Amino acid sequence: MQDKIETKLEILADAAKYDASCASGSAGKRSAGKGEKGIGSLTGGSGICHSFTPDGRCVSLLKILMTNYCIYDCHYCINRISSNVRRARFTVQEVVDLTLSFYKRNYIEGLFLSSGIIKDPDYTMESMVKIAKSLRLDHHFKGYIHLKTIPNASPELQEEAGLYADRLSINIEMPTQKGLNTFAPEKNISDITGSMGRLKDKISEHKTSKTHTGKKLPRFAPGGQSTQMIVGADASDDKTILNSSVNLYQTHKLRRVYYSAFSPIPDASLILPLKPAPLIREHRLYQADWLLRFYDFSLDEILQGTTNNMLDMDHDPKLAWALRNRHLFPIDINKADKKLLLRVPGLGALTVQKIIKARKYCSLSWSDLTKMRVPLGKVKPFITASDYRPPAYLLDMETLSHQLKQTEQLDLFGRAV
Amino acid sequence: MKTIRINTLPGYEEWRDNAKSCLLNYIPPSSIIWKGAEQTQDELFKELPENSKSSARAKNEPILKVPKSFVELAQTACCHNTPERFALLYKIFWRINFENRKLLNQSLDDDLILLNKMVKEVRRDSYKITAFLRFRETVYDGREHYVAWYEPFHYTLERSLPFFTKRFRNMNWSILTPYRAAHWDGKSLFLQDNPDPSQLPEEDKIEKYWLTYYAGIFNPARVKKSAMLAQMPKKYWTNLPEAKLIPDLLQNSEAKAREMIDKIKN
Ligand code: SF4
Repeated sequence: MQDKIETKLEILADAAKYDASCASGSAGKRSAGKGEKGIGSLTGGSGICHSFTPDGRCVSLLKILMTNYCIYDCHYCINRISSNVRRARFTVQEVVDLTLSFYKRNYIEGLFLSSGIIKDPDYTMESMVKIAKSLRLDHHFKGYIHLKTIPNASPELQEEAGLYADRLSINIEMPTQKGLNTFAPEKNISDITGSMGRLKDKISEHKTSKTHTGKKLPRFAPGGQSTQMIVGADASDDKTILNSSVNLYQTHKLRRVYYSAFSPIPDASLILPLKPAPLIREHRLYQADWLLRFYDFSLDEILQGTTNNMLDMDHDPKLAWALRNRHLFPIDINKADKKLLLRVPGLGALTVQKIIKARKYCSLSWSDLTKMRVPLGKVKPFITASDYRPPAYLLDMETLSHQLKQTEQLDLFGRAV
Repeated sequence: MKTIRINTLPGYEEWRDNAKSCLLNYIPPSSIIWKGAEQTQDELFKELPENSKSSARAKNEPILKVPKSFVELAQTACCHNTPERFALLYKIFWRINFENRKLLNQSLDDDLILLNKMVKEVRRDSYKITAFLRFRETVYDGREHYVAWYEPFHYTLERSLPFFTKRFRNMNWSILTPYRAAHWDGKSLFLQDNPDPSQLPEEDKIEKYWLTYYAGIFNPARVKKSAMLAQMPKKYWTNLPEAKLIPDLLQNSEAKAREMIDKIKN
């Protein structure tokens, strides 16, 4: 027999699973000191994955909706008012208790709470803030808290949320206002980015300034903000999407933009596409996003030579770039600078670090690279080593593009059961 | 040939003291057989290393000082479950002293590749214990007490304790592993060898909610079994309560996904 909490949990975990952001962000380290009350710690980095579900995703947080009742009618959302789902609502106390009970058993790193909108945005936001506040002040909870703030809630409430949460997020949902108009008529892009802007200022103010008595200001969402965009529901191309990400990273200092391939939901609205957006598109966007943030690529470089401003679905964007810039390769693994090494398909940031360290002591040969577990199959057309040069025909294209396409496909299916 | 048995687990301090005196006596790695506590007693008596002070020191005097990073690596590698760990560490210790002070930088050296591999495995295992250990609640001495049974693949209990004492400082808990248990009463740690696994409570009142949650967040339309297995190999499943749901979730996923699609079509 299911009890009341089990039923609610089933409904409200299910409703939250369409949210892409799973891991906790980095909010520094912390734990209860000696003699201090409370429970919990942050270990730095992105938090521990306490389990993995059969879809390969990390379970790090108790990710639930406070309620899936909603007065809005966003078409892509299973909880919209016109949808026919089972509804449930947790009380503040129930969420607090579940979070603590899970935490004490070492199931989770913390709480990721979002919610449908009940009554009005402020009422909803207030309940969410109460949960975070009670965890922090009543229970001295030092674990991770991520609150998904409610668009249109008052700035005061959003700011209060920042005092208790490690990370705040507000979903931008669509890269353009046009998309929002069609699919989320109650939402407005300038409200959303306006609230991001305010929070950004608050976050940096609390990081850098002090009170007039010289004390540090209290923590304010030290893990920053993140957001999520739905891909493939509206007609936006990858350029529009990535442009909007670049803007969010630069203007609003977001820590992370999540992409969620639109997947048809039960009881869907008629204006939505019937078919899911290909997961590979979501995957390519993440790869491009990664290149933008950590590999020193510009958006123009990533999109250069693509068709219709869409990323190449056959090759990952780094490889696609290399294929278009074949004249730069092969590069000498013993001499090339870091920036260039990072552009070699198959060399990740970590491997590049290893190479730079190891080549100080000796000139690297093919077998050295094997020892470092460099994926030689992938890099071999693009590099030279002390005793290795790729045969000219390798870089000679038609074949290369085709060959690499095949390997990646195998890999993809290899991974998918 | 000299046999040295390291009787403690993981054994770093004992290994270190033995290694120092062997080195001072110029006993080359090839003349020592190192054994760990996990190997069964197969000889009648244990030879003790000679006292280092009595031996005359030659010109090529070992410095004994090793880079700080070696200490960290050796402490970590000692937690590995392979009995060869002590011999490998002594060989590297020897080579640092007599062959190349900068040996640790040679990341392509065969001994170092082996060492680094061991270290990596221990670190991963130490991480996994913080991830996959599950407490069950019980009452002991009238107080809430949390108990976990966990089977690490290496001797990583000790390394992981700072994590647990920090995170669960104000809780009373016991972590039981096959070779040792750690008990925490909110102030101090107490270690106990070979604990009794039956001390783990059979049930926990919250566990069913965890199972409900786990089943609920799984998206049947996106099954990626190999991605899951890469991070959570089957060898960890025994003590994970949620793992027993996996076969059913996988089996029903296709039907579930189809059901979803059918709903959408109508
Ligand atoms: S406001 Fe949020 S929960 Fe409500 S319909 Fe829109 S996306 Fe769904």
